[in-house]
Amino acid sequence: MRPVTLVTTRLTRIAGLPRYVIGALLWAPVSVLPLVDGLVLRELFDRISGHRAAGLEESLWLCAALVGMDVIRGVMLVVAWTYGTYWWDAAATVLRANVLRSVLTAPGPAARRLPRSSGEAVARLRDDVHDLVQLTDDAVPLAGAAVFSTAALVIMASIDPLITLVLVIPTVAVGALTTLLSGVIRRLHRRARMLGAAVTAHIGDMFAGVLAIKTAGAEDAALERLREHNRRRRDAAVKDRLATDMLDTVTGTTIEVGIGLVLLLAAPAMRGGDFTVGDLALFTSYAGWLTALPRTAGSMLSRLPQAAVAVERLGRLMAPYEDDRDLSRGTGVWFKGEPPAAATPPDHGDALEVVEARGLTARHDGGGGVHAVDLRITRGSFTVITGAVGSGKTTLVRALLGLMPADAGTITWNGLPVEDPGTFLVPGRAAYASQVPRLFSETLRENLLLGWPAGDDRIGLALELAALEDDVARMPDGLETVVGPHGVRLSGGQAQRATAARALVRAPDLLVVDDLSSALDVATERLLWSRIAGASRDGRGPGTLLVVSHRRPALERADQIIVLDRGRVAGRGTLGELLEGCPEMRRLWSEEATAEAWEQARGQAHQGA
Amino acid sequence: MTTPTSDVLRRLLPGRRSALALAAATTAMTVLPLASPQITRRFVDDAIGGAGTRHLVSVACGYLALAVAGQGARLLTAWLAGLLAWDGTNRLRERLAGHALGLDMAFHGRRTPGEMIERVDGDVVAVADFVVAFVLDVVAGVLLLAGVLVVVLVTDLRVGGVLLAYCVLTGYGMARAQRLAVPSSARARQASAAVFGAVEERLAGVEDIRANGAGEHAVNRFHHVSGEMYRAELRADRVRSGLLAGTTVAFAAGTALVLGLAAWSRQSGTLTVGTAVLLFQYTQMVRAPLERLIDQLKQYQTALAGVARVGDLLAERRTLPEPARPRPLPATGPLGLRLDRVTFAYDDETARDGKTAPDGTTVLSDVTVALAPGETLGLVGRTGSGKTTIARLVLRLYDPVEGGVQVGGLDLREVDPASVRRRICAVTQDVQLFAASVRDNLTLFRPLADDQRLAAVLTDVGLGDWLAALPDGLDTQLGGRAAGVSAGEAQLLAFARAFLADPGLVVLDEASSRLDPATERRVERSVGRLLAGRTGVIIAHRLSSLSRVDKVAVMDGGVIVEYGRREDLAADPGSRFARLLEAAGVPR
Repeated sequence: MRPVTLVTTRLTRIAGLPRYVIGALLWAPVSVLPLVDGLVLRELFDRISGHRAAGLEESLWLCAALVGMDVIRGVMLVVAWTYGTYWWDAAATVLRANVLRSVLTAPGPAARRLPRSSGEAVARLRDDVHDLVQLTDDAVPLAGAAVFSTAALVIMASIDPLITLVLVIPTVAVGALTTLLSGVIRRLHRRARMLGAAVTAHIGDMFAGVLAIKTAGAEDAALERLREHNRRRRDAAVKDRLATDMLDTVTGTTIEVGIGLVLLLAAPAMRGGDFTVGDLALFTSYAGWLTALPRTAGSMLSRLPQAAVAVERLGRLMAPYEDDRDLSRGTGVWFKGEPPAAATPPDHGDALEVVEARGLTARHDGGGGVHAVDLRITRGSFTVITGAVGSGKTTLVRALLGLMPADAGTITWNGLPVEDPGTFLVPGRAAYASQVPRLFSETLRENLLLGWPAGDDRIGLALELAALEDDVARMPDGLETVVGPHGVRLSGGQAQRATAARALVRAPDLLVVDDLSSALDVATERLLWSRIAGASRDGRGPGTLLVVSHRRPALERADQIIVLDRGRVAGRGTLGELLEGCPEMRRLWSEEATAEAWEQARGQAHQGA
Repeated sequence: MTTPTSDVLRRLLPGRRSALALAAATTAMTVLPLASPQITRRFVDDAIGGAGTRHLVSVACGYLALAVAGQGARLLTAWLAGLLAWDGTNRLRERLAGHALGLDMAFHGRRTPGEMIERVDGDVVAVADFVVAFVLDVVAGVLLLAGVLVVVLVTDLRVGGVLLAYCVLTGYGMARAQRLAVPSSARARQASAAVFGAVEERLAGVEDIRANGAGEHAVNRFHHVSGEMYRAELRADRVRSGLLAGTTVAFAAGTALVLGLAAWSRQSGTLTVGTAVLLFQYTQMVRAPLERLIDQLKQYQTALAGVARVGDLLAERRTLPEPARPRPLPATGPLGLRLDRVTFAYDDETARDGKTAPDGTTVLSDVTVALAPGETLGLVGRTGSGKTTIARLVLRLYDPVEGGVQVGGLDLREVDPASVRRRICAVTQDVQLFAASVRDNLTLFRPLADDQRLAAVLTDVGLGDWLAALPDGLDTQLGGRAAGVSAGEAQLLAFARAFLADPGLVVLDEASSRLDPATERRVERSVGRLLAGRTGVIIAHRLSSLSRVDKVAVMDGGVIVEYGRREDLAADPGSRFARLLEAAGVPR
C-alpha cells in the first residue's frame, strides 16, 4: 500500500473509527438537502407558471418548506462541524505527538533527523500534518458530493436525459481542468513564493548590511536591485493570481454555460410544454451544485503529491527503524483529562564506578568534530574538558551522551558496553546541563522538574548547589514564576544556573555540565563549583563530574583535564602536569590569564575613579 | 505639505490610463451579469408565449455569449487590479526602503533586519491585499448590489422595496454577528500559537530533554496544550458554523420572501412567469457580494493599521544635520584624524546594540586622539569600553555631544556626506553577505570595476584559489546566511570591498573569533596591505595585531586610560599595555 494511503486510512481510525463514520454521516444531510431544494423550487415554479393549477396558499407553503429545509441544513451544519472538530484535532494531535515522542525518546540520536532550524521542524509538524489530516477529511465532502451528483443526475435524467447528458459534459471538463490547472497553480505559487522570499531576503540583507551600504554609498544601487526583485515578484504574483482566478472563472463559466445549454436544448421542449419552467428552475439550481464533485475530486487529486511529500518529510523526523505505521499509530487522545504521568525510571541499581569511552569519533557534516578520543571517568572524580573555540569540547560531550551519532568508538559503564548511550546515560545515571540554556515557557518549578519526582527539599538543594537560591527568593512568585518563552524573563546567568539546577535535581551519578562561562562571571562560577564539589564530598550531590570549561576555578579543581585541539586530545593530566608538558594548555592558560588581567585592570580603574 | 498617509495613498494610485482601463473592466464585470436574468425572463416569457424555436435558440445563444463575456470581464478586472496593486505597492516598498536607508544609524541600531522586513514588506502586503480586495469586492460588490436593487425596483416596486429592506437588515445582522466571532477566533489562534510555541521550545531543547530523561513528560505537556487548543477551537467552530448556518438560513428566507411575493403578484396577474424567474435569479445574486463586503470590513482595520505604520516610517527624520555648505574631503591620499575632547552619550532615540550602557549615560568622555596621515591607531579594551563608539563617530554615524571629529583637517559636520562615504571605509567583524552573486557582494550592486579587476583584487586578498574553485566564478550566488563562506573568507571579502573603494581612512573592527592558522595569516597580510599608505583605526581583539600600529589607546569605561606611541608604552614596565603583553606572553 502506498504510504499516503496507509497513513490516511489509519488516520480515520485514530480517534476510533465510529467517530469518523458518524462524523461523515452527520455531513450527509448538508450535502444532500440541496436536492430537495431543487425539487421544491420545481414545484413552486410549476405553480407560479400555471403549469400546475393551485392556490396561492400552496405556493406559500412551498416557500416555507424552502426555509424549513435550510433551517434543517443549518442545524446539521453546526452539529456536523462541531462534532468533526474533535476528530480533526485528535488526528492532528496524535500524529504530532507520535513524531514528538520519537524525536524526544526513541533510541538513537535525534540530531541528524532534525532540520537545521527548529522553526523548520515546527513548520513540518504544523503544515505537513495539516495536509495529511485535510486529505483524509476531504473524503467526507467527496462522498457527499458523489451522493448528491448521482441522485441529481437520476432526477434530471428522468426529466430529460439528453439535457442531463449535455450538462454533465462541461462538469467533467471542470474536473479535468482543475486537476490540470492545479499542477500549474502549484508551480506558479511556488515560484511566486520563492521570488517573494527573494524580495524579503534582499530587504533583510539590505538592513542587516546597512552599515556596509551606507559607508560605501551604495544606497541607490541596492534600491535598484530591490526594484528588479520587485518587478520579478510582481510578474510571478500576478500570474499566480491569474491562474487561481482562471480556475474560479472556469467553474463559474461552466455553470453559466450549462444553464445556457439547458436553455438552448430546452427551447423546443419548452414550446411543446414537455419541459416546464419548474424543470428549468431545477436544472439551473442543480447546475451549480454539480460542479462540487469534480472540484473536490480534482483538488484531492492535486493534494496527493503534496501529502506524499508530507508523509516522507514526517517520516524523516522519526527514528530510522520506525515506519509509517509508527507515525500513524493511535497512541491516545487526551483532550479530556490528563495523560498518564510519565513512568518514573526505576533505580538502575548499577551505581557508577567507572565510565569509559574508547576511540570515540564523531564528525559534523561540515567538517570538524572529534577523532579517536579516549576518556575514563572514575567515581568521585572531577574531569574538565578544555580547548579553544571549535576544538570539539561540546561535540565530545554530545557524542558521549549519545546526543549525536558517533562514527566510531565504544562506551562502557562499569565495564559493560553501552548499546545506546542516548537512552542509557540518563537520570539517575547521568544528567546534563547544556551550554545554551534551554528553558520553556512554564513555571520555574516545571522547568526544573520536567516531570521528575522530587520534593521541595530536593529542589531547594539543587537551587543552592546551582547558586540560584537567592535569585529565586527575590522573585515575587518564587518557584512559580513563569519564565517566558525560551526563559526570556530570566537573565542569561539565571537561565544557565537554572539548567544546572535542572540536572542537579535529578541526583545523577554523573553530572555533565557544558561551558557555563558565556553568562556567568568568574566569581559566580567559582562559587558554583565549590558548592557542588562540597556536596559531592558529603554525599548530598552528584559524586562524579564531567565539565567543559576554560575557567581557572574549574581547571584548578580538576583531578584530570583533557585538552582538545582541533578535535584531537592534545594532552591529559592535572593542571600542573599539563602546564609543564602541554603547549596548547599553556596557550589556553595564558589567554585565560589575559582575560583575568583585563578584569583586574578594570577593577583598578574603578577603584581609581 | 503632504501628510505621510496621503503620501502613502498617492503612491498607490495607478496612472490615468490604467485607472480608466480598470474602471471600464470593473463596470463590464458588474453590468454583464446584471443583464443575464433579463435574457432568462425573455426566454421563459417567449417560450410560454409560443415564440419560434429559432428565436428561442438565438436568445439562449445571447445568454451564453453574455455569460462568457461576464466571466471574461471578471478575469480581466482581477488581472488588472492585481497588476496595478503590485505596481503601486512596489513603488511604496521602494520609497520606504529608500527612505529608511537614508536614515541615520541611530535609527538602524534600534531595529533588527526582521523588523525592517516587516515594516517595508509586511505592512505593505496588508495594504496591497486590501487594495485588490477593495476593487474586486467592495467597489464591484457595491456596484452589483446597487445594480440588482435598481433593476428589481424598476421591475417591481414592491419586490424591490422588500429586497432593499432585506439587504439592509441582513447586512447589518451579518456585520454584527461577524464581530461576535472575533474574540473566539482570536482565542483559538492564541491557543494554536501556544501549541506551536511549546513544540518549538521542546525541539530547540531536544538534547536537554533527552539527556535529562524528560521526553515522555514533554509529550504529556504537548497533549495538555493540544487539549486546550481543542477546547478553544471547538468554541470558535461553534460560532463559525453558527454564523454560516445563520447566513444560509437568512438567504433562504430572503429567497422564499421574494418567491412568495412573486407568487402572490402572479395570482393577481401583475407579473409574468419570466419576471418571477428574473426576480429569483436576482435574489440569488445578492448573496456573494454581500458576504464579501462584510468580510472586507474585518480586513479594513488591518489595512488601516498597515497604512498608519507605513506613514510612521515615512515620518522618521534624519537626526544628523546636513552641512549648510558641504566641503569635500581631499580626493586622494591618506587622511589625518583628530578627535578633540570628544564626549558622547546615546540618548533614548539612539539606543544601540551594545547592552552595557543604559540610555543617557555617557559612553565616551573627553577623548582626544591625533593621527597624522598614514599613521595607525590600535584601540584596546573590554567589551563596552567605548571602542566601537569611537569607530562610529569616525564614520560619522553619530555626531559627538561635545568636542569634534576632524578628518583631513575638516570637522566631519561640515563635510559632504557623500565624500565621507567615498573616503572613509569600515571593515566590520560581522561581514554582511547578500543573497546575490560574488560580483554584487564585492561591488554592492554598483558597476564599479570590470571582472578582471575584481578577480585581481580577490587574488590580492588571498581569495584567488577560493574564486577559482567557485562553480560559476564571479557569478556564483552566495547565500544570505553566508552559506559556503567561512568566517575568515567573509572577512577577506570585506577587505576586497575596501580595496575597491580605495579609501584614505580605514576603520577596522577585527574578527574576534579564532580563525584557522592559514586563514589567519592571509587576513594578517591583507590588513598590512590595506593599511599601507592609509590612515587606520583598528579595534584590536588580538594582541599580535598591535605589533603593526603606531599608537595605542587603552580604553576603559569610555575613557582613554592610556595613550601613546606603541614602543613607548611597551617599554614602560608600569604601563597597563606592558602588563597586558606580559600576561599574554607576547614579546614586547
